[in-house]
Amino acid sequence: MFLQFFLDILRMAIKVLTERRTRAALTIAGIALGPFALVMISSVVDGYGEYIVSQVEGLGQNTIVLFPSGDYKFTESDLNSIRSMPGVKRAEPFYSIQGQVKVGSENKVVFVYAIPVDLIFESMKGLEVEKGSIPSESEYLRALVGHKVAYSDDGGVVYDIGDVVTITYLKPGGGSSEVRRISVVVAGVMKEFGGAFILSPDTMVILPLEAGQKVLGLSSWSGIYILAESSDVVSDVVRELQSRYRGVADIISFQSIANIINSVIGAVNFISFAASLSAFAVAVAGVASTMITSVVERTREIGVLKALGFKDGEVLLMILAESIVMSIIGGLIGILLGVVGAQALASRGFVISISQQNTIVITAPPKVTSFNILRATALTLLVGVAGGLFPAYRAARIPPAVALRYE
Amino acid sequence: MRGEVLVLENVVKVYKASGVETQALKGISLKIYRGDFIAIMGPSGSGKTTLLNIMGLLDKPTSGRVLIDGIEASRLSSSELARIRNYKIGFVFQFFNLVNRLTVLENIEMPLIPRGIPRPKRVEMATVALIKAAGDPSWLPKKPNQLSGGQQQRVAIARAIVGEPEILLADEPTGNIDTASSKIVVNTFKKLNEAGATIVVVTHNPEVAHCTQKIYIIRDGLLMNIINPDPSKCILSA
Repeated sequence: MFLQFFLDILRMAIKVLTERRTRAALTIAGIALGPFALVMISSVVDGYGEYIVSQVEGLGQNTIVLFPSGDYKFTESDLNSIRSMPGVKRAEPFYSIQGQVKVGSENKVVFVYAIPVDLIFESMKGLEVEKGSIPSESEYLRALVGHKVAYSDDGGVVYDIGDVVTITYLKPGGGSSEVRRISVVVAGVMKEFGGAFILSPDTMVILPLEAGQKVLGLSSWSGIYILAESSDVVSDVVRELQSRYRGVADIISFQSIANIINSVIGAVNFISFAASLSAFAVAVAGVASTMITSVVERTREIGVLKALGFKDGEVLLMILAESIVMSIIGGLIGILLGVVGAQALASRGFVISISQQNTIVITAPPKVTSFNILRATALTLLVGVAGGLFPAYRAARIPPAVALRYE
Repeated sequence: MRGEVLVLENVVKVYKASGVETQALKGISLKIYRGDFIAIMGPSGSGKTTLLNIMGLLDKPTSGRVLIDGIEASRLSSSELARIRNYKIGFVFQFFNLVNRLTVLENIEMPLIPRGIPRPKRVEMATVALIKAAGDPSWLPKKPNQLSGGQQQRVAIARAIVGEPEILLADEPTGNIDTASSKIVVNTFKKLNEAGATIVVVTHNPEVAHCTQKIYIIRDGLLMNIINPDPSKCILSA
């Protein structure tokens, strides 16, 4: 019986709205803005957030890198004590320099690492060899190069297996720096990794550890590359390293960077949520003004309904149904446009400037979560109820004899 | 012995507007029995509509008692009053008060909606009510403003009787329609009364009042006189 009544008032609410099409349409448009903005912005932020975090985590969730700061030099005894720390699976020293390689007509910045090559593959799960092979530890003149080193930006092959790559770099020395050139032979080319956060495998040149002294001419390690046993113990290992090397070394773990990014994304999300709340608040006012007008116009009709035996609560529900129907329609339109808008916004890409010449554009698909949709739906329904409640309550309370006299 | 449908005991109604008190009703007592057909007459401002509103439980008296089917109205909540209006009282207004947005059918079935009656049953009841009110079922899908004033009043009567109320209250039912339509409306009331309905009509028109069984004359909020109608002055005998 109540279901029948419910269906009837819903049908009548829709009739009222179709009678005043323009007014209803404008109000619905006002309602739609909130869910539109909320779904669009949150989906884009979540999409980028997930993309960036997955990129960073792709660099190795279990990886911790230790860099000396100042004049500190890591020694074999540092290495051995780190290797014996609980939670540490592997620890290896590495050498690194930043250099330039001529790729076709372009000079590209590359990062050269001399490191046990298998360790790189053990830590970065997404890394794969496209062609050629991984140089063995004794082949210190043979290199594994990143995708962007082997190919020009338009996709043409510049360096193939067996080709010689010449790297120009500044060798840091006492006082003055010295420009040096080294040549290595391409042993293998890595598949495109994508992304470019913190370090990009695509612009790497990886050499066996021995090359650090013999080819790059470095006398001390650039840092220690540590692999934790699992991602759960990373923070414990980081804490232990911090207490041991406070002030003499910088510790970077991709996991903690991902955590920082996650909390930044969370903050951005909250700010955009708070900002879109204002759109919902405006919608409440819009719905309320529409409903007050609609109710005042129909004062006599409401009087008739009460004379015919509608209870105050039934009149209230009838009027509330109108604002709720509007909010449901507005919510559907807003969410739908928000999803479409998020696709459009995300496809434009997001430019990150690393340096003046070096900008990267990342495009991440928006992430439309059910939480996001449910939150927008709930808020929109709240708009309908909040905007309709006062006018409906006021209408329901008019004494029938007064309402019937209303001109 | 016929049962009392509606009893008013010393009903007083005082309106307060911007500090000024107006006594619309100064103590009216009357009894309406099942099957009565009664007219209430009086000049403008005599308190006729106020009296009808109180009889119809749309307004509460300042003092005095209103009993409908033996239930004292002043003891009831507004929800209970609404339910009694829905089941026991039917209203016909001077300006029809139909909702032009809705079809004739939807207007007539309106009192059945709070009862939660399913649609097919409502359509059946509305059709029967419209025929009883001298209406034409072909009007059902139309909008009220596609009908003449007289036709609209017949739709309004159908709406008033669709819920099979104990008593029908009509406020100037012929006040806004032509003579031919007035005859149809009065004839409908007579037939409904002959079929057992209790009817109270507030009217200015003596030709309508003289068709009833009893005429109450109201003046300045008081029941001045009860006169017996003269059937030869009824609009139907002309």
